Amino acid sequence: MNIAELLEKRRQGWIELERMCDSLKAVQYPFVNRGSQVSRFSALYRAACTDLAMADQYQLPPASVEYLHRLVGRAHSQLYRSRSFGADRWIRYMAKIVPQAIFRDLCVKVAFVVFFGLFTLSALIAWSDVRFRGFPERILGKEQIQKMEDSFDKPLAGNYNTYLAGAGGYIKHNTSIGLQCFALGPLILPSLCALGYNAVVLGASFGYMARSDVEQGDVFFQFVTAHGVFELTAIALSAASGLRLGIGIFATGGLQRMESFRLNAERALPIIMAAVVLFFLAAFTEGFISPSPLPYFLKACVAILSSGMLMYYFVVLGYPRPDVDQELENNEDNPWRKIGVDRAAR
Amino acid sequence: MNAQNSIDLTAVITTPENIQFEYRIAGPFRRLPAFLLDFVLRGVCVVAFFVLMIFIGAMASIPFGMILFLIFLVSFAFDWFYGLFFETYWNGQTPGKWLTKTRVISVDGRPINAYQATVRNFLRLADFAPMVSFEMMSSDAQPVYAIPTFLVSLLCMSMSPRFQRLGDLAAGTMVVVNEQSWVPTNIKLEDARVASLSEHIPPNFRMSSTLAKAIALYAERRNRISMGRRTELASHLAKPLLKQFNFLDDTSPDLLLCALYYREFVSKDAFSEAKQYAASPSKDSVSLPVNAMPLPTESLPPILKSPQ
Repeated sequence: MNIAELLEKRRQGWIELERMCDSLKAVQYPFVNRGSQVSRFSALYRAACTDLAMADQYQLPPASVEYLHRLVGRAHSQLYRSRSFGADRWIRYMAKIVPQAIFRDLCVKVAFVVFFGLFTLSALIAWSDVRFRGFPERILGKEQIQKMEDSFDKPLAGNYNTYLAGAGGYIKHNTSIGLQCFALGPLILPSLCALGYNAVVLGASFGYMARSDVEQGDVFFQFVTAHGVFELTAIALSAASGLRLGIGIFATGGLQRMESFRLNAERALPIIMAAVVLFFLAAFTEGFISPSPLPYFLKACVAILSSGMLMYYFVVLGYPRPDVDQELENNEDNPWRKIGVDRAAR
Repeated sequence: MNAQNSIDLTAVITTPENIQFEYRIAGPFRRLPAFLLDFVLRGVCVVAFFVLMIFIGAMASIPFGMILFLIFLVSFAFDWFYGLFFETYWNGQTPGKWLTKTRVISVDGRPINAYQATVRNFLRLADFAPMVSFEMMSSDAQPVYAIPTFLVSLLCMSMSPRFQRLGDLAAGTMVVVNEQSWVPTNIKLEDARVASLSEHIPPNFRMSSTLAKAIALYAERRNRISMGRRTELASHLAKPLLKQFNFLDDTSPDLLLCALYYREFVSKDAFSEAKQYAASPSKDSVSLPVNAMPLPTESLPPILKSPQ
């Protein structure tokens, strides 16, 4: 037996493996109900692996070794495929892991304090006409205030045609901004600035509109009450996720810097997921309920109901309990489990 | 677990089968076309959908609001979830990556999972940074910061041994070249003198494994080298060997190396005598692993049916 014969003999298996890779690539679930194919594929794959492992001893020519590396790589990526995420796994992720992860996250607390603190402060300052003269004008600008007053000049009319389009526009616009907040997280400052800027501007608008001498205030609150809860929470959450992502680069907690960055990115995911869901909910509320001429009482009910929902989701489901901790410790999707940290530290 | 070859830009993966193989890592010049292809494809899809919806809206009496809603939703989904969707369900490839024959995998060689796909696709925006405004081109333009400069990703890639952009670093992924290369065939040595010359090489000459490798490399590539260059390259190795074998000085160095290649890799009696490297396979170890016998030849490409 010499190399030439050996190559000739083994090449047939390689080509068959190559062709199986080609045919498998097109299929999403390639191995369903085709046991014989699986065993054939894995046998060929193992054979190619063996050939590669023995390449040095066989004294295969370098080009053949290079070829085998490619072949095994291809087959490897077909055999070990990305697992699709089933619906039950999504539900478990959203219902169990996300609230727990958000409740324990310090970045979320910081973002909430910063956002709602600045929001309240800015609103109070803008509201009191006497003590801080001209604050809303300086923050928002005269034209912006004029524009805002104009848009809330007329009472809300129910133009049903625009409801859906409005919802779509809000989804695209607001969620994109939330995701941008997340994406700019590694640079930390943009996330914080976006958060602070939004808090101050929104606060000033709310405060200005709440003044008793601004006639448009009634219509304004008619409009914002219903979706405000979802939307403000979502803004704070998306900044929190960016913060969590960025903090991983600096506060490594004993891990290697890159490993800590990776782990914190995984921890930031539940937050941005929740934010995206909230942005969607806010968009639909803003599209359908906010511009409708429903009585203020009903809109306030929606706001109270949504606050209750958020409370239940983030506090009741998120409050740390030993039995839930125990359960989630074994869940590979939970980014806060200790095993994950140990594995990363290794 | 995974070593990194610092010269060859390959990532070494250790599989559960306990063998090591190498992936070639895709660099920026391979990934930019993939990105641009995806970008164009995305744009085409959104525009096509837009036109389709307008058309449907004109034909059937669907309220305009519904159409706008769908257009917003679809363009949003394409903006943010395109890569995420394809990389999760297409085993680490988007259409652009599929066309450029690259694939995203975890740095440890495992397939990418949904989290990793999410992180690396959501973080794409940070990789675009810093954005440049349209004002740079003409002063009348709107100050819209929409032109990506890719500086962050280029900086990250140049500093990471695996050409990872920021999103890759956060997700623990890398992009590898995943293509089929040509099937190795035995090198045809057309010169009839090769076989006869190889018989004149002293039977007690034993080739070291590094020499065998060098000669194999030479034989694989000599077809692409001009005659004069072949002589120049081969003479470094051939000169001392000619002296050692007591051959005539005007023997072609190229021919000698071919003869050595023939003797080592092709000729029938290459393994008949005891070689110095004990690792030379016995008849048994070369036999095919279980279940991997080749298929009947009719299902194979014609290349295999040709006589050896």
